[in-house]
Amino acid sequence: MEMLEEIQKLKDEATSALANLKSSEDAENFRLQYLSRKGAIAQLFEKLKDVPKENKPAVGKSLNELRSFVESEFESSKNNLGGKAVTSDGNIDLSIPGRKRYAGRKHPLTQTANEIKRIFTNIGFGIADGPEIEDDYHNFEALNFPPDHPARDMQDTFFVKSEEGKYVLRTHTSGVQIRVMENNKPPVRVIMPGRVYRNEAISARSYCLFHQVEGLYVDKNVSLAELKGTIAYFAKEFFNEEAKLRFRPSYFPFTEPSAEVDVNCFVCGGKGCKICKYSGWLEIMGCGMVDPNVFKAVKYDENEVSGYAFGMGIERLALLRYGIDDIRLFFENDLRFLNQF
Amino acid sequence: MKISRKWLQQLVDLSGVKDDDIASRLTMLGLEVESYENFAAKYEGFVVGAVLEVAKHPNADKLKLCQVDVGGETKSIVCGAPNVAAGQKVPVGLVGATVPHNQHDPEGKPFQLTMAKIRGVESEGMICSANELGLGDDRSGIMVFDDAAVQGTPLSDYLGLNDTVFEISLTPNRADCLSHLGVARELASAFSKKFIPRRVKITEDGPSITESAKVEVTAQDLCPRYSARLIRGVKVAPSPKWLKDALESVGIRSINNVVDATNFVMMELGQPLHAFDLKRITGHKLIVRRPKEDETKFTTLDGKERIISPDMVMICDKEKIVAIGGVMGGINSEISDNTTEVLVESANFTASSVRRTSKALGLSTEASYRFERGVDPNLTIRALDRVGEIIAETSGGKLAPGIIDIAAMKFLPKRVELHVDHVNRLLGTRLATGEIIRVLESIEIPCDKKSETVLFCSVPTFRGDIERDVDLIEEVGRVYGYEQIADSFQTRLNFDTRFRESTVLDELRDLLAGAGFHEIITNSLQPADIAGFHDPASVTLANPISEDMAAMRTTLLPGALQTISVNLAHGQKDVKLFEIGRVYRVMDDQQVVGRFRESARISMAISGTADPMSFDRKESKFDIFDLKTDIERLLAFLKLDSWDFISYDTTKEYEQSLKLFVNGMELGLAGRVGKAALQRMSVDQDVYFAELDLTSLLALRKSTNRYRSLPKFPFASIDLSFIVSDQTPAANLMDTLRAAAGDMFRDISVFDIYSGEGIPDGKKSIAFSMALGSEERTLNDGDIAGFIEKAEKELNQKFSAELRKQKS
Ligand SMILES: [Zn+2]
Repeated sequence: MEMLEEIQKLKDEATSALANLKSSEDAENFRLQYLSRKGAIAQLFEKLKDVPKENKPAVGKSLNELRSFVESEFESSKNNLGGKAVTSDGNIDLSIPGRKRYAGRKHPLTQTANEIKRIFTNIGFGIADGPEIEDDYHNFEALNFPPDHPARDMQDTFFVKSEEGKYVLRTHTSGVQIRVMENNKPPVRVIMPGRVYRNEAISARSYCLFHQVEGLYVDKNVSLAELKGTIAYFAKEFFNEEAKLRFRPSYFPFTEPSAEVDVNCFVCGGKGCKICKYSGWLEIMGCGMVDPNVFKAVKYDENEVSGYAFGMGIERLALLRYGIDDIRLFFENDLRFLNQF
Repeated sequence: MKISRKWLQQLVDLSGVKDDDIASRLTMLGLEVESYENFAAKYEGFVVGAVLEVAKHPNADKLKLCQVDVGGETKSIVCGAPNVAAGQKVPVGLVGATVPHNQHDPEGKPFQLTMAKIRGVESEGMICSANELGLGDDRSGIMVFDDAAVQGTPLSDYLGLNDTVFEISLTPNRADCLSHLGVARELASAFSKKFIPRRVKITEDGPSITESAKVEVTAQDLCPRYSARLIRGVKVAPSPKWLKDALESVGIRSINNVVDATNFVMMELGQPLHAFDLKRITGHKLIVRRPKEDETKFTTLDGKERIISPDMVMICDKEKIVAIGGVMGGINSEISDNTTEVLVESANFTASSVRRTSKALGLSTEASYRFERGVDPNLTIRALDRVGEIIAETSGGKLAPGIIDIAAMKFLPKRVELHVDHVNRLLGTRLATGEIIRVLESIEIPCDKKSETVLFCSVPTFRGDIERDVDLIEEVGRVYGYEQIADSFQTRLNFDTRFRESTVLDELRDLLAGAGFHEIITNSLQPADIAGFHDPASVTLANPISEDMAAMRTTLLPGALQTISVNLAHGQKDVKLFEIGRVYRVMDDQQVVGRFRESARISMAISGTADPMSFDRKESKFDIFDLKTDIERLLAFLKLDSWDFISYDTTKEYEQSLKLFVNGMELGLAGRVGKAALQRMSVDQDVYFAELDLTSLLALRKSTNRYRSLPKFPFASIDLSFIVSDQTPAANLMDTLRAAAGDMFRDISVFDIYSGEGIPDGKKSIAFSMALGSEERTLNDGDIAGFIEKAEKELNQKFSAELRKQKS
């Protein structure tokens, strides 16, 4: 029965060859070697005619079993190679795109805040943090907002239900200024990023919360000229080298003098357009020289030190930088939006 | 606030100054001009026309062909309005004029009139409706003027709108600019222009005021000055056109000649006034006092009954309250058509008192708005003279001689000392003493030189906001111009370790973004029931915007589900999200701010397909183990040595729920979000969500571990498979194996779990792959066999586990 032995030998060879299939090229070679019309199995079938009659049924059955076994094993091995990439004629279609995978991103507000932090930490600012649920003292009174003062109407405030004391959701990060100065001797130079709240109707232009970066520098002889220079540096870094600024007198209880800072509108180049309300300027932050009453509140000697403070909205800067027209997009987290940044 | 150029020009010479320059200079002085409108320019090309003749249009039934005299010239105009008729005086737009509002355009965009053929007939202009002119809503027909209108008059002149109106956004400190006078002062300084000298013309007649009226102020702390004038023989009537036009140009509705005169003076000078009908004042005497105990209600001019309280200031007569001081008068003494004797109040009320009253009543008026910001106490008399002049002129009344004036004190200019070097230090300038004096005197702050470098400045009483040297420095900077101050940027780099921020949060973000997660930022306000469900000690708001945002969040879950819902709505089903944010609660043992504790959390949410669309692999949905993969990735990143996940009973919020324990502390939850929570947010697919206490995890984080030398001897890896009850947790078996390996333990993982054919009912086969090693030598067969024997014995004792097979 050498024929049956040969069949068994071929089966073993084919099995080990299948185990070693690594590419579609290997698969094609295997097919040619074993399963093609002139392959090893076909050659055994050729030999069947030489087998003695009485043995033919048994050998034929074995041969058929061998063929179907090898064919089915081959099919499954081929599929394990990533079959679809192999076309019927055995070529790999390299034009098929790579497999899709999840690709994450940091939120555009995080990216913007990181950029602001990078710019200020590069020029020596540290970073500080504070609570979002603030007492009236840190959010208003120490910042020179006396009780019953109309300046308190500048920010629509959320009040917290509480039996003891008056607490608010902070309306600005300026309260952190007070906490930093209460706990640290001058000089101090910090930025204070954080979430703030305003009790305003939600619309494309305003949300019930947003994020601010507050800045504070207190030292001997800090001047308005220095504030202007620092903000100009920031604007050039954040927007571009051509950013032109305008400092316009304004009012904040905790700074004196106070200013609003506008950057020239990069949409229309200053000629006036819908975005800048036809003024040619876009408001980017408020700032000023720390009011002596604030120094009194934190027990700094107003005759020894002076300082500047500024505050900017991260959403506002991101809106301007990316040309986004609806602040709510930041908080909806639509992936089609997040993927753009 | 609206400011009229025409009005300003009565006060200050603005000849040759362009509107645009006024707007930009005011803005740069801190009086931000939000917009301005030049009505003369807007209505250029519009005139009053007289319709001479109306004929049918030859080609259209609904149109008419009108002959209109536009002042010495007759135009042929096609008109479709149903109300057009011969003899009317109408507004006509001539060819070239721009019609402000196109009523056939959905956006109402303006359009320019051209010579046009309408149904074959040339029209030389257009007769306009109020709507087309932007003067009202009426679009049913053309506007028809008084017969007295003269054809050819420019429309802006006829309407009294030959003016530019500036909309100014004032900061709360600039109460002095809540009037044309205040703005005129700023402009006089900005453009070096002179005030127009003008004397109030007053003729007094009849018995003195004191014969007819008396005033007594008992609450002088709330009302430091109360002045009044009396006008007799008044005939209340509609105001003359100039007065109506002036008020309407700044957005105030005309009422009658007396009330309009008081409003006019308020807009001109900034002094709120109130006119009483003297005959309705019992005893002809006003008393300024706090309400008595039984006086708790008062009906104001607007017809509303107000609840008053004892700390408010009331104007009363002998029997009753007649006005709430500084806020609003009452119906019981208001000017009516029958009024003949008018007593005008010109008073000064304490700012904080008016503000408290206005807040308590929920009633803000032009008067209270000004008082709470501060009105010049020296303005009362000037305002009375001006209002007397106008009422006498417009009502035929006669001014009673004299003024009642009750003042707590003399209101003198404040003397403030200013050091020149302080100015220059704070501004970063090198201004000379003379320059500083020039700047301050341009805004009516006279300065005396105490020495070459020290000034004594007299701050007039209309600048209540200036009290200290630093306030004067602001004035110097503001008027000199921030633009003129050269930038300086000499920041010294003395880095300060007190304010160093750890970079770990951003590293975590990078880690998760790299692992395919999108960072989300969600609202930290939640419905109170949801916040309270997750933490009964939630923080709630006293004045929420809506019920949906009445509490501070106690979990990041709703934000994540909301985000998934938003994305599902546009077909984005496969998401991996993370958020780093605070949660808030009331805590008795916290002393940070009040009793509120804010701690940082990190959340991860995965939903949809684990392996998104791939051309050749089967899709599989995310499951709890995908979530655990990412939690463990994060814990490993923080270099924590060990942690445990304990499964616990399903709550309403989670199915397949796990608690994370590190160092015996419960630091997080993970699981499949329960159906109820999903339904609430309309999410119809499984969501796996984890929320970890980031504040605590960061505190436990190991910074750089000490270097350990690399293993010198190869590890042995062995596979062991056991048959155990299918209730036995894998983690327990792993702990036992780890303990059995002792020092040799290096790593373990589960590589197969099987039950079914060949495994008895109620049992499972579980296979582990382990790495064992030694610091001293390569492990030999005896070491391995010893471990297997020990492991088998212990697992058998503890879990009745049966060793199935091994491979090493
Ligand atoms: Zn623009």
